[in-house]
Amino acid sequence: MHQAIPCSNTRAWPRPADLSAPPPLRHSGGVRQVVQDNPVVVVGRKGCCMSHVVRRLLLGLGVNPTAYEVPTEEEAAVAREVFGSGDVTFPVVFIGGKLLGGLDRLMAVHISGELVPILKAAGALWL
Amino acid sequence: MMELYSGYLEDPFNHLKPLCPNNMTSASTQFASSIRIGGMYDRENQITSVWNDSFQVDDSQATSPSMGDVKLDNTLDDVPNELLGSSKGYEHEASKPPEKVLRRLAQNREAARKSRLRKKAYIQQLESSRIKLAQLEQELNHARQQGVYIGGHLGESALGLTKAIIPGIAAFEIEYTHWVEEQNRQTRELKAAIQAQVSDIELHMLVESGMNHYENLFRIKAIAAKSDVFYIMSGIWRTSAERFFLWMGGFRPSELLKILVPQLEPLTEHQATQVNELKRSSQQAEHALSQGMEKLQETLSEALTMGPLAGPDVIVNNYMGQMANALGKLETLVSFVNQGDHLRQAALQQMYKILTTRQTARGLLVLGDYFQRLRALSSLWVARPREPS
Repeated sequence: MHQAIPCSNTRAWPRPADLSAPPPLRHSGGVRQVVQDNPVVVVGRKGCCMSHVVRRLLLGLGVNPTAYEVPTEEEAAVAREVFGSGDVTFPVVFIGGKLLGGLDRLMAVHISGELVPILKAAGALWL
Repeated sequence: MMELYSGYLEDPFNHLKPLCPNNMTSASTQFASSIRIGGMYDRENQITSVWNDSFQVDDSQATSPSMGDVKLDNTLDDVPNELLGSSKGYEHEASKPPEKVLRRLAQNREAARKSRLRKKAYIQQLESSRIKLAQLEQELNHARQQGVYIGGHLGESALGLTKAIIPGIAAFEIEYTHWVEEQNRQTRELKAAIQAQVSDIELHMLVESGMNHYENLFRIKAIAAKSDVFYIMSGIWRTSAERFFLWMGGFRPSELLKILVPQLEPLTEHQATQVNELKRSSQQAEHALSQGMEKLQETLSEALTMGPLAGPDVIVNNYMGQMANALGKLETLVSFVNQGDHLRQAALQQMYKILTTRQTARGLLVLGDYFQRLRALSSLWVARPREPS
């Protein structure tokens, strides 16, 4: 698993509840780099509860998602970089470098039983 | 519904029930008769006096209360015959001219019949009033809970007023009422179709209607959530028993699956595996959403906390900033309601994929029937007789 150790971190110290999840990244290479370097990336707004839902769901499946937090002022920029348009609803999930979609899509794919195979194919899950 | 209330009503005339066989089951009649026989002789009872004339005939023939229940029932069964004028009980009247006797018997018969009809009408009126009263009580409770919004909060926006003033919610209430009626109708139709063993093609149409119907519910809920998310979240638009199971503004999909699966047997091994996987996925998704909700509560509390004390200006600015921030966070609730419904929808569709048309039809029937019973339970609960305080 490729995981860049952040030299600067937006968070002072991980809160007890989040100890199981890796701290969010603000990679200098931009979101595209992060997405390529990590099998599962959750791109979301800072402190967004829906991002939390996405991360908890993935953690529950045994996946270690990389969280990429986007400050409000950079939302449009990140959206353009990722989707080519400024109009995007966060959070979104990337698996194996490819965009899966938002929480809606994640839930649908999870319920239909397609999520685990996708995760395995991306090397994010073993057995 | 008459049967359900028979035990509750103060009815000294239950012994007359054998005369109206279409109303009561014999079991409840026996029960009612054996406990109410004392009331038959209760002259103080106001209702008794109304029916007095029908008892003129009875008195001479009625047995004493000391007789055993079984005997009494037999005797009571005999009463109609005697009222209807078999001559054996009236031998001591033979001294009077037979025409007068016959005429009197006929008049008594008529009086008794009218009396029975009046009684029936009266009881029906009582019962419908009782149900109406229960409904009004429930509406009043709803309004009262909504009314908590009113009064006392400075700077409360228009959104804080009762549902009657939020057109979105008033519209939802109406639409939901129609939705329930339609669901009950569809459930009846499904039941009839399955029992009649109609073709798969016809069942398929009914199933499609059923699935669309749930989609409609989620659609109107989403619109209403935009008007007042707390209203949807609170489940106040549902009956009390349904509300007991509330999760994220509706039912928990995994719980519904638990109810459904035993009723769907026999499933193939493959189907059983898939259903179990669905149950597990649903539980995982529900858990994730619940945790997200907890996070929201956390962040909301943090957003509202006073913070460090400073000069008066700073406090005011912080306050307004915090309030604006908190308001923004509340908007997330709408997403949670939507995600809850989205999950319900996904689970329904997955079941549809796993099951055959026939099985899905049965599944929709089971669900529809279950919800109907929950609602009926709520009505009974609201209308239950309470000890006078």
